[in-house]
Amino acid sequence: MLQFLSSKKAAPWLFLSPVILFAAVFFVLPVVFAAYISLTTWDSLSPPRWMGLKNYQYLFATDPIFWKTVWQTLYFALGTLVLGVPLALVLAYALSRARLQGVWRVVYTLPMVTNIVAVAFIFTFLLRPTDGLLNRLLDLLGLPGPGWLTDPSLAMLSAILVFVWMELGRNMLLFSAGLNSIDQSYYEAASMDGAGAWSLFRRITIPLLKPTILFVVITNFISGMSYFTLMLVLFPGTQGGPSRAALTTGQYMYQMAFEDLRLGRASAVSYVLFALVFVATLVQLRLMRRGGLEEH
Amino acid sequence: MTRRLTGLLAACSSLGLAAGAASAQDAKTIQVATHYTGEQAAPLQACFDAYEAEHPGITIEHQQTAYGDFLQTILTSRVGGTAPDIYNVYSVWVPQLAAAGVLEPPPAEIAEFINANYSPATVGAATIGGQLWGIPTELSIYALVYNKALLQQAGYDAPPKTWAELREIAQAITTTNDQGNIDVGGYAYGTTVAEGVHPFYAQMFAAGVPPFAEDGRSTNLTSPEAIRILSDQAALFQDGITSNEIVVDNFASNAVGMQISANWNKFGWQEAFGEEFGNTVGIAPIPTDGPGGTMLYSFLWAVDATSEAKPEAWDLLRFLNTPQEGGLTCTGQMMQGMGSFSGHNADLEQMTAGADDFDRAYVEEVTSGRAVTQPNIWQASEVDRILRGYIDQAWSGSMTAEEALTAADAEIQAILDEQP
Repeated sequence: MLQFLSSKKAAPWLFLSPVILFAAVFFVLPVVFAAYISLTTWDSLSPPRWMGLKNYQYLFATDPIFWKTVWQTLYFALGTLVLGVPLALVLAYALSRARLQGVWRVVYTLPMVTNIVAVAFIFTFLLRPTDGLLNRLLDLLGLPGPGWLTDPSLAMLSAILVFVWMELGRNMLLFSAGLNSIDQSYYEAASMDGAGAWSLFRRITIPLLKPTILFVVITNFISGMSYFTLMLVLFPGTQGGPSRAALTTGQYMYQMAFEDLRLGRASAVSYVLFALVFVATLVQLRLMRRGGLEEH
Repeated sequence: MTRRLTGLLAACSSLGLAAGAASAQDAKTIQVATHYTGEQAAPLQACFDAYEAEHPGITIEHQQTAYGDFLQTILTSRVGGTAPDIYNVYSVWVPQLAAAGVLEPPPAEIAEFINANYSPATVGAATIGGQLWGIPTELSIYALVYNKALLQQAGYDAPPKTWAELREIAQAITTTNDQGNIDVGGYAYGTTVAEGVHPFYAQMFAAGVPPFAEDGRSTNLTSPEAIRILSDQAALFQDGITSNEIVVDNFASNAVGMQISANWNKFGWQEAFGEEFGNTVGIAPIPTDGPGGTMLYSFLWAVDATSEAKPEAWDLLRFLNTPQEGGLTCTGQMMQGMGSFSGHNADLEQMTAGADDFDRAYVEEVTSGRAVTQPNIWQASEVDRILRGYIDQAWSGSMTAEEALTAADAEIQAILDEQP
């Protein structure tokens, strides 16, 4: 035994063992336990009772809220991608050619380091229908003042806009790093061949930035699919905004588990959510896998 | 020599162990979990100190957990084997906690103590299926709260008695800004589950129809009274008398004319209105065309079934709920400090004697027997959440009151059918 432990074969495993142990206890075990729990009914107070696939059947066939939350979650995740990623890319590109880059980076990354509760509170005041700054400005222009956080048709859009503002700095930093890694000689060569600014952006920046874009899109999508912190603070005390209009699957799962004590059903929701994120990520990888210099 | 020394050491250690065992047997720590802050629980802490002085060997620890996290904390502590000995729990959590064996039923002498010192409605809040589970504490009662100044400005000297009158007065109070948003709402609801569901239940009791059957196995949500109540509520939204923008929290800034709220808001309103509190905040029975009534809910002191200090825990609770010098119980002292009521008859009597109009109006709802206990039904918080979702649908106009309550009834019935 001692001989095996001191052998070269065992060395990597010995060095890796703390990480493996950590992953087994804090990742594999909970995942397997959640899979088992999703097939039971369990309130954490009494022993779980075996249910088979009934939790999944309830979610797919009976629960009137689950699919609503899935669509709303997709709307949030895709909305933040569609608005946030191009905006961050364009700003990062503009900043890479601007003076005082450090100052601009600080300005745009400040929201990222600001506490989310503070951010939500500020936006709650800005977006208040009667005396909020935004509606006061709209009033000066003679425009109506919608209930940004109280109208069910606008609640999720408001959450998307606040989230995009919050995450803009992080995405910009990632794109800036990606832009800095593109060799300037490509731009010089293309310019000498007569390429304009738009051509440079479309034919050099975008293709060579594909790995960064892929990373930003996937990580934003995954975090968007399981996100609900902002909604908790932006719509306090509600069940996910007015008429549940900003209720995401993550928050619904939380309510099921810790307010209704339906931990089995909540585990089933987590597995369905995982499946959705997994499939969507595979699709994104398939669509955007090739990119960067390797493509050329 | 060595043998002698060993013997001496063994004897010493035996003595030490025996002494330690004896002291461990006598010394007990009772952990009391509540959602009250240190400031709110100060009178309670003084009583803990007094009890400790009278009972050498007993140590009392107060664990404060935010109300929103209280149930989760109980669950986590139970799973981790570190459950407190005494909980202050919301009565609607009791069915599940009791079914899961978390709570210890009170011994016969404590049950007698409760029945002798608390009103039937209050005892009902701590009872599920005929079984008493603890000592009632904080009593929350619903009534119509109105802003006297706003009513007077609109030309009304008295609060409404029927819903039609309420609607008329609310319409007269409501003002909007240039953008059409409500500046001052005639009537308001709130954003939380309770702020939507509890006024609805209270209105149902006032209409003479309880929201749930007495055995807690079916609902009365599709009754004509329930549909009419929700339909009338929805009409306030559709006619611009209230909206999601004007909520019960705006009452403190003179932006709401009327709302159905519980007495525990008093402290906040006193802070907001200061010396004008008495001249501004009026309390009246819930307007209705029915026989009248309202809803009350209670928290209760309960003991954990796995506690190793059950007799000591019940004894402490009896002490905390027995009138002290000055007439109030320890629980009553804490409640009075917060502007709330304790369910103990002696506390209510004492509180009524020195009460202002606000307190007197709420206590009157209990002592007159008009206030009915919120039903401690199965999965109550989930049921309330479902109902709130459908009430929202009716308010927003995406469902009629009948459609919303029929759908709510179907979902809630499925949950009630799960109970043992």
